[in-house]
Amino acid sequence: MIFCVEKTLFEGKSSTKKEALEFLDKTDQTKKRTYWPNIKPKLFYDNLKLNLDNPKSFYPGRSTNFCAYGALSYFVMEKDPLGYVKFMNDLYDKGEAIFNNNTFRPSKAVMQAAGTLKFKGVLDIRHAEQMWFLVLADKFKGYLNFFDKRYHEGDENTFWAATNLAKFDRMVNRMCGVHVKAVGSDLIKPWVKDVYSYLQKRIDSNTISLYINNRIIHKKNHDKIKFSIPTHFVILRQISKEGNMITLRYWDYGGETELQISNRTLKKIIFGIITIDK
Amino acid sequence: MIRVAFSISLVVLLLTSSCSTRIISNKYYQEQRGSMDSIESRYEKLNALKPFAVAFTDKEFNILSLEMISDTLTRIYEFNLNEQRLADTLLKYNYDTAGINYLVSKMQQTKVTWINSVDYYVNDLPQQLIYLSIKPVTIRYIFSPPKYIALGYFRTAQSFDEKGRLLDNRRTKKIRKIKGQVFYRITDRICYTITDKYR
Repeated sequence: MIFCVEKTLFEGKSSTKKEALEFLDKTDQTKKRTYWPNIKPKLFYDNLKLNLDNPKSFYPGRSTNFCAYGALSYFVMEKDPLGYVKFMNDLYDKGEAIFNNNTFRPSKAVMQAAGTLKFKGVLDIRHAEQMWFLVLADKFKGYLNFFDKRYHEGDENTFWAATNLAKFDRMVNRMCGVHVKAVGSDLIKPWVKDVYSYLQKRIDSNTISLYINNRIIHKKNHDKIKFSIPTHFVILRQISKEGNMITLRYWDYGGETELQISNRTLKKIIFGIITIDK
Repeated sequence: MIRVAFSISLVVLLLTSSCSTRIISNKYYQEQRGSMDSIESRYEKLNALKPFAVAFTDKEFNILSLEMISDTLTRIYEFNLNEQRLADTLLKYNYDTAGINYLVSKMQQTKVTWINSVDYYVNDLPQQLIYLSIKPVTIRYIFSPPKYIALGYFRTAQSFDEKGRLLDNRRTKKIRKIKGQVFYRITDRICYTITDKYR
């Protein structure tokens, strides 16, 4: 079962970081908004500024299922930083907002939870990111969310926040309005003969997200028999080969990770390759 | 015939029973206290110089996964313990090679399978705890998950409820979970849990 989605809406940048910073400078950053009782204005606006200064700083939090929304943030910040801060500001002010024709009306439980997530690393003090990840998880649903559609405390770590490949493609397409191409699936690896060459050929002209089985890279127990399923979305930054070793550099969790793996392991970990034009 | 029937029923019992893995000694920390505390304090010093995390990814404690952490990049490399590449890599990235080699050998001796530093926030201020997992001797049934003892070393005294469970802070009764696990008191600064993942 191989999925291949191709949709063209519009391409190129919709706004710049400069425009976004100018917008933020004109905004009242001190007033506390009633819709979001646990969001601290200073932490919220400091976080938005950080997102603009360093879009790679998005941190989906330790032990959460927010990694797909983290990868989506990377695409959004590349395409439309002004759209992002305007949306976040509207959402904070009015409790609802529109992003690229997608209307967000988050549930009360989500509004209550934003600002309260704890023990998630630096996400604890990133109130804009808490709000962003929670509203995205609240809005977009896939089959993995079927039995857990409403947010309850702690659901950021459960299937409520999980994302399958088709949902991820849909989110990128609807939020960024870009040409999305994906190969692979949730259970079967992409039918690509040489994964390294496939990625190498596309990395310069596309932004590439990978849907990977992270448990092979970050082993969590010593069992040799493991379910082979994808668990994590990352943004591919660099790929190179020396002899039999492939050096892979990807972005996730607020920074880049570099690892050296064999061609066999590369094939083993990748379940989905999502590309959008730069 | 009786012996065959007994063997079959034993196998069926093992396959169908929902027994969980049993840790042989529940006093692992008490028995190894000196070694554990020394590994933790050694790691704390080395990690403050240049952040890193270490995991033993095989049961025999021969394969090491080293995470070398900087603000923008984490390098994850796997080594066999007797490979020269390990020392070369530590040297290349300006780590205290002798210090880390000593730490790794201590971890290997005491079956510490993972050590890292975990950041968290109290009143919007950064705090740190050192997370350390041990692979104890267990009796394991078929299909039952593995078990590890995880220790959390806080820098300051923590709050616990009457059952010894780690709390969010003094004023609330909310239980603080680390990586989805409830932790129990050993001292006011050290707590533990039993978990099926070492990290």
